[in-house]
Amino acid sequence: MINNKVKIKTTNLNVYYGDKQALNDVNLEIHSKEVTALIGPSGCGKSTYIRCINRMNDVIDICRVTGSIEIDGNEINKKEIDVVSLREKIGMVFQKPNPFPKSIYDNVSYGPNIHGLAENKVKMDEIVETSLKKAALWNEVKDRLNEPGTSLSGGQQQRLCIARAISVNPEVILMDEPCSALDPIATAKIEELMDELKKSYTIVIVTHSMSQAVRVSQRTGFFHLGKLIEVDTTEKIFKNPNNKMTQDYITGRFG
Amino acid sequence: MSDEAHIVKSYEEELQNLNDSLIKMGSLTESQLADSMEAIIKVDKESADKIIANDAKINELRAKIDNQIMTVLVKRAPMAIDLRITISTLKISHDLERIGDLAKSVAKKIKPLPHDLPKELIGSLRRLGDLVQKQLRNVLDAYLNKSKESAITIWKNDEQVDDLTNTAMNEVADFLGKSKKNLELATHLLFVTKNIERAGDHITNIAESLYYLIEGEYLEGARPKGKDIEKN
Repeated sequence: MINNKVKIKTTNLNVYYGDKQALNDVNLEIHSKEVTALIGPSGCGKSTYIRCINRMNDVIDICRVTGSIEIDGNEINKKEIDVVSLREKIGMVFQKPNPFPKSIYDNVSYGPNIHGLAENKVKMDEIVETSLKKAALWNEVKDRLNEPGTSLSGGQQQRLCIARAISVNPEVILMDEPCSALDPIATAKIEELMDELKKSYTIVIVTHSMSQAVRVSQRTGFFHLGKLIEVDTTEKIFKNPNNKMTQDYITGRFG
Repeated sequence: MSDEAHIVKSYEEELQNLNDSLIKMGSLTESQLADSMEAIIKVDKESADKIIANDAKINELRAKIDNQIMTVLVKRAPMAIDLRITISTLKISHDLERIGDLAKSVAKKIKPLPHDLPKELIGSLRRLGDLVQKQLRNVLDAYLNKSKESAITIWKNDEQVDDLTNTAMNEVADFLGKSKKNLELATHLLFVTKNIERAGDHITNIAESLYYLIEGEYLEGARPKGKDIEKN
């Protein structure tokens, strides 16, 4: 039976880059409208995992993905799936802010435009405003919407990327180390934003900062060498993990 | 528990230093408690001053541990077992400090005692003091060996402390009942007895903190209580 709280469920997920196996039988349930943090040493498979959720691995020729990835109970790891409409449902934010070389307005309207979400300019203006407000950026940019997105500070650019991701009404937001290039204040703003966003979206964040995982997430999964070692509530993982390897990693005993 | 060392050696040292400070504080508290029991039973007024003065050493160690812990928290943001070690050490050090205070309070009662303790009151007081000292020694050993089983045993044994307290209190009350002239001595002894019993309560707190350190979970269920003892 599917737990109605489960948004994303992967079963026996394996990923191979050529001969190299990057994920090994990962069984993980991501709960709806929560933040799930994925932690683990570099190369452990956590980024590979989130890239499976919006089929980003498809663009890599030598990559092979086996096993099941269900979103709301629907299998997405099959050829017939239209990845463009899949990615409309699943937004992604990367480590380095990567706004398009366009205006702030165009960065946000780009997605709604190609997905045909606004029938006219008024509707588009509304989407852009709402998205920027949801990304806690509106007040800072409302008078300069025609300036290039790249003219913003790093933290603002990252919030612009979040606005761009949420402009197409996604259900899931994937974040791959979204704060690793940001200063503590910009990081705090993104974390505050995540608290707000999780009321409407399911968020999966890959992070190397244990403290950030504790601060932002409700559940945490620890990956090591392509395997999901342990997943539990964040509180349990950081106070009293079941697995010795998890404990040794989060306490800085191996890396 | 983890047998692996931290990658950062200075982190390992900081936790080791914290452990060393706590052990030092524990042994100091143990001897203060032993000395105060010995002194009250013998009504040794000279030792009383020394015991009262020595309490400052325990307080200094507590302050040192507080500082060490703040450093670890701010520098390392400890997680999992390290977090539990840090927080439990903080709690244990505060319980040890309170036991030290209670030993000092016992010592303070020695000087105003009008005369030696009547023989009939020494037996129970000594048994209570011996038991609480044994409990303290055992809980410090359990901390050293990180023994969950010992922590549970010590926690349960507080019931015996309560029972012995009850017996000692009743004996003092009977002694008071015999003559109004006994009022002053009896009052002091009631306070002394109660202080020893409260030291026992702090020892059970330490056992609880130790259990949490080891298991990451709280000891469950109500602790068995001795008869007719009001806790405060």
